[in-house]
Amino acid sequence: MTSVGTGYDLSNSVFSPDGRNFQVEYAAKAVENGATSVGLLCEDGVVLAVEKLVASKLLVKASPQNKGSGANTKIQTVGRHIGCACSGLVPDGRHLVNRAREESQQFKQLYKRDIPPVALADRMGQYVQAHTLYNSVRPFGVAAIFGGVDPETAEPHLYMLEPSGVYWGYRGAATGKGRQSAKAELEKLISSRDDNSPITTLEAVKELARIIYIAHEDNKEKEFEVEISWCSREHTQGKHTLVQGTMLEEALEYAKSKTSNAQDDSDDSDADSDDAMQD
Amino acid sequence: MNHDPYSWGRPSDETYGQYSDAIAHAPSFPKMNTQQPIVTGTSVISMKYNNGVIIAADHLGSYGSLLRFTDIERLFPVGKNTVVGISGDISDMQHIEALLEELETENNYDNSHADDEESLQPSYVFEYLATVMYQRRSKMNPLWNALIVAGVEDSKPFLKYVNLLGVTYSSPTLATGFGAHLAVPLLRRVVDRESDVEKTDMQTATDTILQAMKVLYYRDARSSRKFSMAIIDNDQGLVFNKELEVENMKWNFAKDIKGYGTQKV
Amino acid sequence: MKSCSGKTVPPPPLPLEHPSAMSQPIEHQFNPYSDNGGTILGIAGEDFAVLAGDTRHTTDYSINSRSESKVFDVGDGIVISANGFAADSTALVKRFRNSLKWYHFNENEKRLSLSAAARNIQHLLYGKRFFPYYVHTIIAGLDEEGKGAVYSFDPVGSYEREQCRAGGAAASLIMPFLDNQVNFKNQYVPGTGEKRPITYLSVEEVVKLVRDSFTSATERHIHVGDGLEILIVTKDGVRREYHELKRD
Repeated sequence: MTSVGTGYDLSNSVFSPDGRNFQVEYAAKAVENGATSVGLLCEDGVVLAVEKLVASKLLVKASPQNKGSGANTKIQTVGRHIGCACSGLVPDGRHLVNRAREESQQFKQLYKRDIPPVALADRMGQYVQAHTLYNSVRPFGVAAIFGGVDPETAEPHLYMLEPSGVYWGYRGAATGKGRQSAKAELEKLISSRDDNSPITTLEAVKELARIIYIAHEDNKEKEFEVEISWCSREHTQGKHTLVQGTMLEEALEYAKSKTSNAQDDSDDSDADSDDAMQD
Repeated sequence: MNHDPYSWGRPSDETYGQYSDAIAHAPSFPKMNTQQPIVTGTSVISMKYNNGVIIAADHLGSYGSLLRFTDIERLFPVGKNTVVGISGDISDMQHIEALLEELETENNYDNSHADDEESLQPSYVFEYLATVMYQRRSKMNPLWNALIVAGVEDSKPFLKYVNLLGVTYSSPTLATGFGAHLAVPLLRRVVDRESDVEKTDMQTATDTILQAMKVLYYRDARSSRKFSMAIIDNDQGLVFNKELEVENMKWNFAKDIKGYGTQKV
Repeated sequence: MKSCSGKTVPPPPLPLEHPSAMSQPIEHQFNPYSDNGGTILGIAGEDFAVLAGDTRHTTDYSINSRSESKVFDVGDGIVISANGFAADSTALVKRFRNSLKWYHFNENEKRLSLSAAARNIQHLLYGKRFFPYYVHTIIAGLDEEGKGAVYSFDPVGSYEREQCRAGGAAASLIMPFLDNQVNFKNQYVPGTGEKRPITYLSVEEVVKLVRDSFTSATERHIHVGDGLEILIVTKDGVRREYHELKRD
């Protein structure tokens, strides 16, 4: 790290001579080391999935009794119609979602309408960006994927917000440690479809489970769980809901079978998929 | 001359008395709180039966004696087994509606049991509303309404009232406003004491409520023909009918009334 | 108008402040109180105390409910009722329950004595001295020696331990009856001119007095009736009795 020791990395609100804000870059590093999060924009809604690294065997496990997500749910809801999955520092993510909930409540109070995902992404972008301006604060150590169906237009939206405050709309978004392989998988998934056979949330739940399994491959020594949520016009009436019960079990089953197949494939020297996973 | 920079530009104490921030920054108008309702909704009526509760309210928003708005819904479902019926000021009602939506949204946050074990129950909704109403009256800034919370909790009917003063009570039959005078006696002919609830089925209760809505439409000048009725049944859940009208009215006596209208006696 | 002399005299002019003489704006203010009727009654015996209340809840001439309890067993052998403006009554009892809970948290589950409860309630009431709880409050239980005790409060917290007290709508109807029947006021030993000595009454006698008080109050007061709930505190705990009253 060339910046270390120069003094320009000690504070927000100070540029380095070559025009960088190192604090923001360090925050992005925190995200790169965080657990993987992915989101996919579908025909009828959005699906979010996160990799939950099991930090200790003493933690409560996901099981059908506790509705598949356990007491340690990571994906959160904003309003009723938007979901948020974060990679990076978990408490920063919690705070960000609290702020998002306030924004959503304030918007609804003013306009008596659920906040459109774009508006939320924009407001959160301004909030996160403000934390890159002052030396009294540090930037957020998270990248957040916001996804939801706008109840007014019934259109699905997916946004990813980064520590710098920048946000873009995505068809498929991935962040965290396994983002490279996840992005590759998302690209393959999206390019395999055309306008005549757009992907549905029902399929995406399974595919994202698979992608989380693939993204975890580089991190194999650690135990993990998969948490999935979705927001579908038809299946959840536009409400953001955790995927639970048999639906979750089926998705995980599918993910396991596909990833073991992928390994079998590579044994059979299927070079294509092997390469894709490594970059 | 006072040379202290603090007093520059301020009226002199000798002439105007000691400087008062409260006077210098006084608003142009005194602070005002609600002193009277503006657009109002009339009675909400309700009763228990052996497997749930029924609640009804019409669609009118009156501006004094002007029938100003004719399509206002005054029954609000909260969660799966609660309905709140609101009479009184319509803007305050819409504020309460927003509060209830917030309550539901926040109950859902970080709660994977929000649709079953930890769903909002009628008693929770009622306690919340009663607290809000009493706090507002204690600030001398009331929400000008009378509310009835109806629902099913632990398989038993729930029915309770709260008004702008924060006064609360429960009874197997309840009505707000004019309905407390006109409808309650009719409802009590069927269900007077808690033990009568067991003997009353949904059909009897529905007929009684419809009958009471008809009498209210006959006699309450600020009522409308269109109304909504919600049934919260222990087995069927919420049955919400928003398209009802008072039917089978008999007006044949009207031709015999002489001396009030323009007709020659 | 004719005067005594038979001459016609004009009527006196209307005073200036008379509404028809001068139209002036009528000042209108929100009234944060209402009267919800009902009546309560507490009597202390030698080793017991009772606190009773009717279950009718009213505003003006309407009966809101025929079955609204207003006497509560809050634990620690304390029963409480606040009669008058029902919203304040509910708020006061809720605050006292909370205060009792915190007493248990802070004092290792120690039982709150009735005298301490009474002082605590004084603070709750006096704390709102300039926007009072519009209620007549009575608590009943046993004192530190196990003797029956009743404390009664005015709306702003002045209080006193008494042998008996009626509160609420029909207090003025019941209280003189109680003076005579519990404290033997105006009773003399026949032939001697001496006052009848005060003796403790049994639970059975007290319950009879309570029931008679309420049936009579129901006859004479429109805001009293429907049902009578009696909470009886003894060293064994709190017992509840319910009796119907006339519903007219």
